[in-house]
Amino acid sequence: MTFKKIEQSRRTNRAKPKLAQLLPTLLGLILIFFYAIQLIPIKANSQNSEVFGKYRPMVGLLPHPNPPEVSHLQLSHETGLNLIEGNGDSSLPNELKLEESKRIDVIKKVKPAVVAIFGGSGGGSGVLIDPRGYALTNFHVVQGTGVVMKAGLPDGIYYDAVLVGQDKVGDVAMIKLLPKKPDTPFPFVKMADSDQVKVGEWSLAMGNPFLLAKDFDPSVSFGLISGVNRYQYPEGNFLEYTDCIQFDTTINPGNSGGPLFNMQGELIGINGRGSFAFEKRFRINCGVGYAISINQIKNFLGHLYSGIDADHATLGATIKSAEEDSTLPKLTIGEVLEESDAYRRGIQEGDELVSFSGRVISTVNQFKNVLGIYPKEWRLPLIVRKNEREKKELLVRLQSYQIAVSNPSMPKDKKGILPKGPPSPKGPAAKFYVKKKGFANYYFNREYRDQIIAKLNQSLHLDNKNGNWTIDGAFIGDGRKGSFQLTCKDEFDSEKKVEMPVLQMRLNDVNYALRPLKLMQSEVDRSEPRGSGGFLMAFYHLKKLLTQGPKGFDGDSCFYSGYAPIYPIPSNILNPTNYKQYRIMADQLQSDFLDVPSKWFFYRSDLNPGLKTAYQDGDIIGFETSLNPKEWDPCEVYLHDYRTIDGIRFPHQIEIRYADKRFALLTIEKLNLANSNKK
Amino acid sequence: MFRDRYLLSFITLLGLTNLVSGQAPTTAITEKVNQKLVKLYGAGGFQGLVSYGTGILISSQGHILTAATQMLDTRELRVHLYDGRRLQAKVLVIEPEFDAAILEISRDKKEKRDLNLPYFDLAAELKKPAPEIGEMVLAFTNAFKIADRDEPLSVQQGRISAHTKLTARRGITQIPFNGEVYFVDTILNNPGAAGGALTSSRGQLIGMIGKEYRNVVSDTWSNYAIPINCKVEIERNKQKKMLTLVDFCQEAVAGKWVSSSKNKTQAKKGPGGYHGIVFVPDVVEQTPPYIDRIEANSPAAKAGLKVDDLIVYVEGEPVYSIKSFNEMMSRTRPGTELRLEIRRGEKLTGLTIVLGDFPKSK
Repeated sequence: MTFKKIEQSRRTNRAKPKLAQLLPTLLGLILIFFYAIQLIPIKANSQNSEVFGKYRPMVGLLPHPNPPEVSHLQLSHETGLNLIEGNGDSSLPNELKLEESKRIDVIKKVKPAVVAIFGGSGGGSGVLIDPRGYALTNFHVVQGTGVVMKAGLPDGIYYDAVLVGQDKVGDVAMIKLLPKKPDTPFPFVKMADSDQVKVGEWSLAMGNPFLLAKDFDPSVSFGLISGVNRYQYPEGNFLEYTDCIQFDTTINPGNSGGPLFNMQGELIGINGRGSFAFEKRFRINCGVGYAISINQIKNFLGHLYSGIDADHATLGATIKSAEEDSTLPKLTIGEVLEESDAYRRGIQEGDELVSFSGRVISTVNQFKNVLGIYPKEWRLPLIVRKNEREKKELLVRLQSYQIAVSNPSMPKDKKGILPKGPPSPKGPAAKFYVKKKGFANYYFNREYRDQIIAKLNQSLHLDNKNGNWTIDGAFIGDGRKGSFQLTCKDEFDSEKKVEMPVLQMRLNDVNYALRPLKLMQSEVDRSEPRGSGGFLMAFYHLKKLLTQGPKGFDGDSCFYSGYAPIYPIPSNILNPTNYKQYRIMADQLQSDFLDVPSKWFFYRSDLNPGLKTAYQDGDIIGFETSLNPKEWDPCEVYLHDYRTIDGIRFPHQIEIRYADKRFALLTIEKLNLANSNKK
Repeated sequence: MFRDRYLLSFITLLGLTNLVSGQAPTTAITEKVNQKLVKLYGAGGFQGLVSYGTGILISSQGHILTAATQMLDTRELRVHLYDGRRLQAKVLVIEPEFDAAILEISRDKKEKRDLNLPYFDLAAELKKPAPEIGEMVLAFTNAFKIADRDEPLSVQQGRISAHTKLTARRGITQIPFNGEVYFVDTILNNPGAAGGALTSSRGQLIGMIGKEYRNVVSDTWSNYAIPINCKVEIERNKQKKMLTLVDFCQEAVAGKWVSSSKNKTQAKKGPGGYHGIVFVPDVVEQTPPYIDRIEANSPAAKAGLKVDDLIVYVEGEPVYSIKSFNEMMSRTRPGTELRLEIRRGEKLTGLTIVLGDFPKSK
């Protein structure tokens, strides 16, 4: 039976399938199973779970020369295919009918947002999460399709789509469907809080198994949540499933990237992997599927929306389960990398790991689960117990994962051949694609960055204040207090015969100065005032960002780098504990100027539902400037209490922190920011 | 006859599937059942043979019911409890008639204190009504070793599709269990699942999930569990008696189980048919059956077997070791036709061998 014929029988039977009518379809399905089996080489290791891999359409393939004999009865028995149309069965008790009709309603509600993805040598499934056409899928699906692809929705319309962002380690990608008429909203689904998913709950998986649905109408399967917080090892250095959801809801090749819903029709995860007993069932459903939790994906949404090729994190220290043979082992820190933030925070070999990001850790898998759901460079609270006594809470910056892995390489296909680079994109979606290293699609990053700068200018209006700055006020810090003056001026350099910027800071009667453009200075020279980690340089960067925007920095170095947490500590608290209470989620920009990187955190209310704060959307909450990123902590600057000072909206308090300590708290009394003195 | 019954039960299943699917299993039930189950780690770890399994706690002192698999063939048997504790265990009894074993958690001799573990009270479970065909069931297993330490076992749902016997080709393959089993309509008997619990949707223990076993008639894998109330005629001390799995458990825990004759006669075997395969040296407990040499003009040479092939299945039954292959061969005769599945490089290949008479010179 050819593929087309199966399609026809599907269509004619859609209205009310009866057993007799379904039989040909069923037999067809059996054949497809074997077609599928042929495509997928057997893997030696039968125990590990795997992603489904690229799924190629099977049209035009010859049947297996010796198809194994299988009675349809046995197969349907094994796969649990249900041949009955349950709706309208008068023998059903009322509450079950109600249950069923609720389920049918939920399916009707969410189905329009389920995407069938085709392109290149592969295809898969996806789900829309945004009326502008943004959809989630697996990275291993877009790996097969390339950066431009086709996406079909159950309305029968075939859309052009483009890759937006990707997370190779997490096996997630975002694509954008292009509406046929501009600004037509797409159907989309609501994301759940997947930490609330419990073992034993029902779930619905939807998608396009075996790329069956040529009319883009998704297949639906229904099953149980079998496990939560599961850890599944990576394939090579990518496709690591951490803290994932396990279910017995049937998924097969082609379901990859499709949604897993709870029974309210909220998105709880993205399906992408299964455990297989290869000798028995090859890569076909074995009752054990895995979805990437939507809560993990939420941490990466900023990256995904903004075209980033996202990276995961490591702690910079190994974790080992001490006394492997004891009945209940504790987890301790093994080796600590000297260039890591963990080392600088004082984590030492032998410290007992108590909790990480608010979750109690008792096994190595739990630790990997927690670590695996965060992007690199996030700061997270970690509690260790030292010398079996004192518990200590530390705020640790995570390291990049892909630099840490010894030999980063793309996952090879089954023949051990590296996948070819994406072909240069063609078609209507190609104009939304800009290639740049470190990005899945730079087009979207540039848009995002420019939006944030526009919002910043709307909230502060400092883009014309490019002249000399003088700020006066009071300071406290480091056992001293008194008055301060901070200036940033252009001075004529008699040697070079040009105007050069000079920053000066007076704390009481001690003066500090920085000439940021002067060559041949050591990091120590450039980190004035001593003990601040480089506040004058940080302030110089702040002025650049506020007055010049991305143009103030090297080349194209200013980019949007996803959401990240920041922990502004109220100015009346000196030794903070329980960092979580201060956490604000922020949009993050990064920039570089003369090899000095800075990170900027912007307030955004929709990332912080329910938070009471004086920050307005677009305000800078704080920023970090690193004069020696490998060996030193950055200078951290927090901007508190925005108000109008001398006619200008500006932070009333500026807190300077370095290496877990406050260097100074500046309270601004007088603000003199001159307009550009250049013509 | 078997097929008719099977078909009948399948049709019954169709009528009932929707009736039960609406019942939501509460998360509280899965939590409660999980506390009474353990993860097991023992011998194995090479091709086709897993070193892990699942067990059911049947006493508060740490008696565990599990399947009689090769995994138990070690002194280093470890148990991970629901709360994450890791303990040693030893095998008390293995009974082939039930394809089951009873383990006991090892403790210091001095320590008399009750472990006070949550467990399934088998006598009480037996009194509850047996499940109907078509009823929804839950399966709890450590398939694929997904759970470790305090991570809960995987739970799957399905329906009982039949209550009947496993099938085998008499004389060649041995079925794991002779009594009637519950077939379930979901992919259940995965690696590591053997010894897991099949419960009702309310958490009542119905049966113990069996080994991986291929139905030789249909060439499909069986998803089944051994019912706790299964009645098997057991011959011991030349007397035949009908006993249940619960009888076995209770007597074994009390130290009163008398092994069946099957247990004792198993070793007595003839040389079987001639194949002409010489395996790699059988040096460890469970040497995988890799072919080292093939005798010229032997049935193996005619069948197309090659050096370095690994024999994975004989008539659909997994071959764990050279020992287990020889044990299967001892049940054959010259002229017996066997279907082998072998792993050659990365591929599984099936071929047929016709056993012959042993060459006279040897």
